Amino acid sequence: MPSFPNVRLASRPLHFIYLCDCSGSMAAQGKMQALNQAIRQSLPEMARVARENPEARVLVRAVRFADRAHWHIATPTPVEALQWQDLQAGGVTAMGEALDLLAAQLASPPMEERALPPVLVLISDGQPTDDFEASLARLMGLPWAQKAVRLAIALGHDADLEVLQQFIGPEPGSDRAPGGLPAGEVPGASGEMPRHAVGGAAAGSRSPRRPLQASNATALAQYIQWASTAVVGAASMPASRVGGGAGIDANIPLPDLPPTLLDPVDDIGPVVW
Amino acid sequence: MTWILPEGASLTFEGLAEPVHIRRGLGSGSQGQVMEVEVAGERLALKWYFPACISRDPHLERRLGEAIRATAPSASFLWPIALLRPTPATQARLRSRHSGFGYLMGLRPPDFAGAVEHVAGRLELSLRSALLACLHLADAFHALHSKGLCYKDISLGNLFLEPGSGRILICDNDNVDVDGRDLGSVLGTPGFMAPEILLGRARPGAASDLHALAVLIFRLLTRSDPFRGRLELAIRCLDEPARRRLYGEDPVFIFDPLDHRNRPDPEQHAAALVTWPIYPAELQALFVQSFGPGLKDPARRALTGQWQQALAQTLDQRQLCPDCGQENFRCAAGATAAGTGTARGPQACWHCGAALPPPLRLQLPRGEVVAAAGTTLHRHHFDVLHPPQGDAPLAELVAHPSDPTVLGLRNLGEGPWRAVLERGGELEIAPGRSVNVAALAQVRTPLGPITPQRRCPPSPM
Repeated sequence: MPSFPNVRLASRPLHFIYLCDCSGSMAAQGKMQALNQAIRQSLPEMARVARENPEARVLVRAVRFADRAHWHIATPTPVEALQWQDLQAGGVTAMGEALDLLAAQLASPPMEERALPPVLVLISDGQPTDDFEASLARLMGLPWAQKAVRLAIALGHDADLEVLQQFIGPEPGSDRAPGGLPAGEVPGASGEMPRHAVGGAAAGSRSPRRPLQASNATALAQYIQWASTAVVGAASMPASRVGGGAGIDANIPLPDLPPTLLDPVDDIGPVVW
Repeated sequence: MTWILPEGASLTFEGLAEPVHIRRGLGSGSQGQVMEVEVAGERLALKWYFPACISRDPHLERRLGEAIRATAPSASFLWPIALLRPTPATQARLRSRHSGFGYLMGLRPPDFAGAVEHVAGRLELSLRSALLACLHLADAFHALHSKGLCYKDISLGNLFLEPGSGRILICDNDNVDVDGRDLGSVLGTPGFMAPEILLGRARPGAASDLHALAVLIFRLLTRSDPFRGRLELAIRCLDEPARRRLYGEDPVFIFDPLDHRNRPDPEQHAAALVTWPIYPAELQALFVQSFGPGLKDPARRALTGQWQQALAQTLDQRQLCPDCGQENFRCAAGATAAGTGTARGPQACWHCGAALPPPLRLQLPRGEVVAAAGTTLHRHHFDVLHPPQGDAPLAELVAHPSDPTVLGLRNLGEGPWRAVLERGGELEIAPGRSVNVAALAQVRTPLGPITPQRRCPPSPM
């Protein structure tokens, strides 16, 4: 039986790393369970996107941080082989130490000589209790950290949006009119109530270059899904480009955030916390 | 997954007499969501746009309306059938504050797989099927461009193929526009975008479609990227600026005959080195042309008609290796219709290295076809005015069911053939019947004769 030569396109690794806040406050209002559920539920779709992108080998890892930071998944794991073990909440917020663990892995070696831009997703509901800034500075001294797509998800209303914005970096080429917030300043960070991300804020006010504010489990699940599928897709195999869009100057043009779908439960406010 | 159109609902739309029953969500992409629906007893697909997509592309609704009126250029397109705008009653049931719209199209049959499955090496298909898919693709773009339309954003992502037959389906036809009018905002997909589009020097149209078509054909035939050779190895982090360099600022074809900087790396780009030599020089020349002078000068890109010719002639040269059974396409040249004038020496099988014997050729009113099981004859083999197309075969070369060394010619047409036998005498070959090629002096079909060419003494019966 004649067949096409047994060859395939060469691929590059795409490292996708979750940094998960497991401090004691995550135990409140089911946030820890919601995060575990959101990540677990996102995996089949993530595996599908990975399959559709033969140019990429999507490899997942996770760091958890509370009193100390640990690798929750230390081995870069192909997404289809990944089984998500539940994170447990308890302790303070050693976010800086989590960045130190990350930095040790983004140095070359152990990073491969050639790869796709890594995707780093920081999820937190509070403030770092260690020297976050020094760790961030060390991390950002690494070329792979600079090239990485860095996303942050703020859980609930107590997350330190300024810290998360520092992790993401300043919003490049801000599309807001002159007189808007200066780069690095975050809407909602100065006493303003954080916006209700899904079903709340007007579509234009959200940007993937700012912390994504998930005030309920539905929103969290949507953002995790978006990061693990749309962003992985954008970082691994280029998608259609539209003229005049933002982010031309960006390392990886980020896809649209999930649309603000109206879910009946959203109209009555947060359900889980 | 939250679907904007609630699953299970029956919704009404402006100008549509029948309600649309939303059966289930099929998928969600960057532009919108696709649902399986039922309208008047017929299963269809409904694509519904996200508000962000509509606000980014103000002419989308107008383009869709025009595409629907223009009707599908060929059966290879999963073309929009009807534009759907919600009635006020439907709007109230949508899980979105913004009013939107969508369109109906046919459902993609389950036997079609994403072209990406083939490039990833997960699809079983023959070289013939891959070449046929490319022929269908060139034919589809020929039909599209002939209508004065352009596609703008063809890539592996919106192409589906049926591995057995090589038939294709082109999806996401919502960027289709009148060529040169530019009522749209899509630029294309990096890797498939012509350099002048990637660098912002031109807007997408039929000329940039020709570049994307050449890339897509190359990727289907080689499972490789035409611009990823050694220059890619110098890139550590393959991000947007690196892609811009590789595909826009300094693109170098990996098999450019003059510029050797971007040759495939034996380890990283092995697929390109294995597959490229399989194809005949006439087909390779179109890539060299499109990815050489055609990169800077869109007018020098290979045209859809040239691709159809070269791909059809490649299929006509298909020969099966007697040792390993693999398909070869570079047989010792005879007086082919291509008429290159240069006779090639005996060829070795690309797969096992065995010398390929001179093949038995069939003389047709238009050109010659190597007799090999699985090869099909089409209208263009008989009719000079008919463009090369891979569908509606009139005859197929088939192996005898119990003795695969016996090659037959099967009548796939609607009328009977007259077979003139070598030993004398004539037979009628009814539609569906096959005749032993070795026994044939000639077959007379309603469209013209088919004559086996025996150069050396005829093989013993």
